[in-house]
Amino acid sequence: MTDASAIEGLIARTALKDRAAFQALYAATSAKLFGVCLRVLKDRAEAEDALQEVFVKIWHRADRYRVTGHSPMTWLITVARNSAIDRLRKRPRESGGVDVEDLALSDPTPGPEAQAVASGEAARIAGCLDELEQDRAAAVRGAYLEGETYADLARRFDVPINTMRTWLRRSLMKLKECLTA
Amino acid sequence: MSDRPDISPEDSAEAAEYALGLLSGSERSAFEARLASDADLRAELAAWQSRFAEIAMSEVEEVTPPARVEKALLGRLFPAPAARPGWIERFGLARLYGAVFLLAALLLWVVVDLPPRPAYPPENAAYSAQIAAEDGSLVVIAQYDAARGELYLERQEGDARPGRDLELWLIAGEEAPISLGVLNRDQGRERLALAPELETALSDGVLAISDEPRGGSPTGAPTGDVLAVGAVSEV
Repeated sequence: MTDASAIEGLIARTALKDRAAFQALYAATSAKLFGVCLRVLKDRAEAEDALQEVFVKIWHRADRYRVTGHSPMTWLITVARNSAIDRLRKRPRESGGVDVEDLALSDPTPGPEAQAVASGEAARIAGCLDELEQDRAAAVRGAYLEGETYADLARRFDVPINTMRTWLRRSLMKLKECLTA
Repeated sequence: MSDRPDISPEDSAEAAEYALGLLSGSERSAFEARLASDADLRAELAAWQSRFAEIAMSEVEEVTPPARVEKALLGRLFPAPAARPGWIERFGLARLYGAVFLLAALLLWVVVDLPPRPAYPPENAAYSAQIAAEDGSLVVIAQYDAARGELYLERQEGDARPGRDLELWLIAGEEAPISLGVLNRDQGRERLALAPELETALSDGVLAISDEPRGGSPTGAPTGDVLAVGAVSEV
C-alpha cells in the first residue's frame, strides 16, 4: 500500500475534483476497503455495491477529510466500515442474527500481505487485543468488524445484555489503557 | 493518538460505543448533542475511530475488487461519452485560473445586462453541438449565430438538480474550461453572448455542462459533476 503522506496527497487532490488523483486513490486503497466491506457484509455482490458507494462518498466528501483530524487510512476505513454497517443493518433480519459457526470460519488471521502492511500502530493493537481474554477480544472484533449489536453479542456469548455491555465497556477501557501505555 | 486525561472513563467508553454503533437511538442523539459542543469528546471519538481502524489495518485482508466495480463507479460519477475521455479528464483537472475567472465574470455580466430578447434558432448557424449526457438524461442543442455573436441553446431534455444550476463551459485545446454562463432555469431556449475572441476556440472546442451551486461555480472552474459533453462541429 502507498504510504500515508502519498494517500493524503491523493485525498487533497481528490477534494479539488482531480479525477486522475481519485483513480490513483482507488488503485491504492480499494483492495483494503473492499476487504473491509467483505468482512462486514460477507456477500460479494453486496460488498461490491458498498465499495462503489464508499468511493462515491470519498469523491464528494474529500474536502471534509482534513477537519476530521484523522490519518488518511483511518478516515477511509471509517467511511468504508460505517457504510458497510449501515447496509448490514438495513438488511431484513429474518435470518435470526449472526451464525456463530460462520464467525468462527471467518475468524481473522492476518495473511502475509496484511501483516506486511501492518504499521507499528496496527501491530500494537493486535498485541493489545491478545492481552484481552479471548472471547472479549472476539466481542470487540465482532462489534467493529461484523457490526454486531449488544443484542447480537449477548446472544452469541449467552449472557444478559447488560452484562454484555459491562463486559465490553471494561474490555474497551483495558484496550485503551494498553494502547496508550 | 495520545491519552486524554481530561476525559472520564465513562465518556471514553461511550465514545467507543458510539464509534462502534452500539448506542441505542436516544443514547445516540444525546451523545451527538454533547459532541457538538465538546471538543474533548470529539477528540476522544476520533481517537477511538483511529484505534478501531488499526484493527482493520492489521486484520482485514486486502481483496482486489473486480474491475467492473471501478467501471461502474466511474460511470456513475463521470457520466460522459466514452469516446471522449480526454476532455473529461482535462475538465476534472481544471484549476482556478484568474484570467478565466475574470472572463467568466465579464461574460456573465454581459449576459445579464442584455435586454431580454426572444430566443430563436439562428438561420445560418456557423457551428453546432449536441451537448448530451451518456444516458440521455440531459440534452442541450447549441448553435452559434456568427452574425450576432451569440450562442443559441435549446434544452431538449433534463433540468438543473433541485437548488442547483447548470453551467456551460467551453474547453479548447489544452486550456482550462471557460465558463460561458449559467443556463436559464425557467426557459428551455436562450441565447448567450459569446465574446468575439472565443469564436475560434469554439470552432474546434468542446462544450460541457456541469452541476453547480445556484448562480454558478464560485471558483471560476467547474466544481460539480460534469453532466453532459458535446464536440462542436461546423454546420
